[in-house]
Amino acid sequence: MGSIVCATRGGEAGRRTQERAIALAKERGDELIFLCVFDPSFAGPLNPALAGAVAQEQQWLGRALMSVAQARAREQGVEAGAVVLSGTILDCIEEYLCESGASTLVIGEAKIDSPLSTFRHGMVRSCARHVEHNTSVEVVVVSPAE
Amino acid sequence: MTEFLTIESIVVALVLVTTLVAIGARRLRLPYTVSLVVMGLLIAIPTSLQLEATPELILAIFVPPLVFEAAFHLDLKQLRENLVPILFLAVPGVLLTTTMVGGMTALGAGVALGTAVVFGALIAATDPVAVVSLFRALGVPRKLALTVEGESLFNDGTAIVIFRIALAAVLTGTFDPLTGLLDFFRVSLGGIGVGLVLGWITAQLVLRLHDRLIVTSLTTILAFGSYLAAEQLHVSGVLSVVVAGLLVGNVGMGGATPSTKLMILNLWEFLAFLANSMVFLLIGLNIDLTHLWENLDVLAVAVVAVVASRAIIVYGFSWLARLWRKQGYFPPSWRHVFFWGGLRGAISLALALSLPAAMPGRSELQAMAFGVVLFTLLAQGTTIQFLLERLGLTQRSPQWVARERRLGRLFATQAGLRRLEQLHWDGLIPEEMWVGLKRGYAHDRKQIQEEMNALFREYADLEGEMLFQARRGALQAERGALWDARQRHLISDPVYDELAAEIDYRLEALDLIYGTTYERQSVEDEV
Repeated sequence: MGSIVCATRGGEAGRRTQERAIALAKERGDELIFLCVFDPSFAGPLNPALAGAVAQEQQWLGRALMSVAQARAREQGVEAGAVVLSGTILDCIEEYLCESGASTLVIGEAKIDSPLSTFRHGMVRSCARHVEHNTSVEVVVVSPAE
Repeated sequence: MTEFLTIESIVVALVLVTTLVAIGARRLRLPYTVSLVVMGLLIAIPTSLQLEATPELILAIFVPPLVFEAAFHLDLKQLRENLVPILFLAVPGVLLTTTMVGGMTALGAGVALGTAVVFGALIAATDPVAVVSLFRALGVPRKLALTVEGESLFNDGTAIVIFRIALAAVLTGTFDPLTGLLDFFRVSLGGIGVGLVLGWITAQLVLRLHDRLIVTSLTTILAFGSYLAAEQLHVSGVLSVVVAGLLVGNVGMGGATPSTKLMILNLWEFLAFLANSMVFLLIGLNIDLTHLWENLDVLAVAVVAVVASRAIIVYGFSWLARLWRKQGYFPPSWRHVFFWGGLRGAISLALALSLPAAMPGRSELQAMAFGVVLFTLLAQGTTIQFLLERLGLTQRSPQWVARERRLGRLFATQAGLRRLEQLHWDGLIPEEMWVGLKRGYAHDRKQIQEEMNALFREYADLEGEMLFQARRGALQAERGALWDARQRHLISDPVYDELAAEIDYRLEALDLIYGTTYERQSVEDEV
């Protein structure tokens, strides 16, 4: 049994990506883990108290988003795990894939450059190739048409 | 006593008129401030009603609440991020406007140069109240609204200082540039200093006092008191109010409870609405259309000079900014909003009214000022929405409105269900009826939730926004619960302070995450 990691942050592509990962896990009988990565450096330099609050709030929002994804999976008969990480998005994803020994990564490509999309339009596929090259993990990109 | 009652009657009548205009403007979807001016004009024509809008009335009574409320809401961090365009437009921008408008009106209308410069100064301050209220209603990018508001806040103070220096030069017949420059810095920095001192003291009191009535009173004293104190010291009252409002809004409010914040926000929203309504109604009542008609030629020159100088400053700054920084300070399309949104209003009117009788060409200057204010309100104020829509700056997409509609229906359904529960609890409806009605409401609620879910499936961004909103509401409720626990002596003051500060930081962090996520999008797409 392999394991599927679905990287999502609840953006425009989030729902499609989660649905596809759930379907894939059911089809293959694989373990499913939802992964959410926040980069705390997005806001630039902040005072320590606020920087701490930003990191905590990102964790909190991440856990909430992952709980929603888990509930969606559960509705479809799939018990999924959830992980929230903090750091540079691509580095964190690659590190987690290696650590967990995952076989597949599912990521989404936004319809437009939506506010909550992790990557700029067109960047997702090059990132997918990058991850595949560095980790040898199969990467499934969920396109806007799906 | 009779005089007092007469004044009271007039005030009540004016508030009644503004309220009726507000109702009419909302129903007919007309710009509120423009409707007030038109109403003032309509009242003045048949009745010849003479309600003198003295400069003291406008500057000391109506301007402080308007300026204070706007400054109170401005986020100091966001203001700092946009300080370059704001300060450029508010300081060199006002100086350049004064010079250009002065030069153009002197050349085009044959007004003496000194007198024309006085006109340039009095008309230099933008008053985007009409535009900003539209921004809020249409949901334009926050950074755009903030820059327009910030510019207007600071340029009020700058324009008044330059106006007084220019006026003194014309009346005395002497002008020493060095003395003028020193005066400019003395009055501006003096005003900022008074605002800093009084704002800081009040902010510290607000942080320590937790009685919402006392804290609200303190903000009222600060708004009017900082203006009066600065004027007594012969420094800028408007700049003093701006700085005081910024300080108490950003520093003092950090320690205020949600209920105190709510009370203060409601009070200032009302006072600003009242002051704004009165000012625009008085503008209409004070404009003599016959006088404007008689001075149509100079008025036309003044309008062209004001519009042209605004264009030169806004587009010139944008060009310079892009030479300095490749991506500029704001997206290209915003230039058009800064240009066309540069309306003139209360400050220009007050300064025109304050011109002394000895001022040469006083009557023409007043006609020019009133004419420009009227033109910007009627021509620019009524077309800015069209411009914003053409530029794609109104962010309420059809799916956003669809979400709002479903949310509204959900709220209404929940309220209906709660009322029925209450009636059932009180034994006022029979059990069978309660069961039937409850099922009806449950069915409606399920249907709306399914519609909302389908909408989220198609536009997942809406779900993200809703998560932010829900989290913010929950954190505010947590803050309120802490306050209640403290009031009931369930937790001590130090524990309350510690936990409340944690929640405040979380709220600030949430706003930062949300603001950065959404503002990044609007700016990046434009650049």
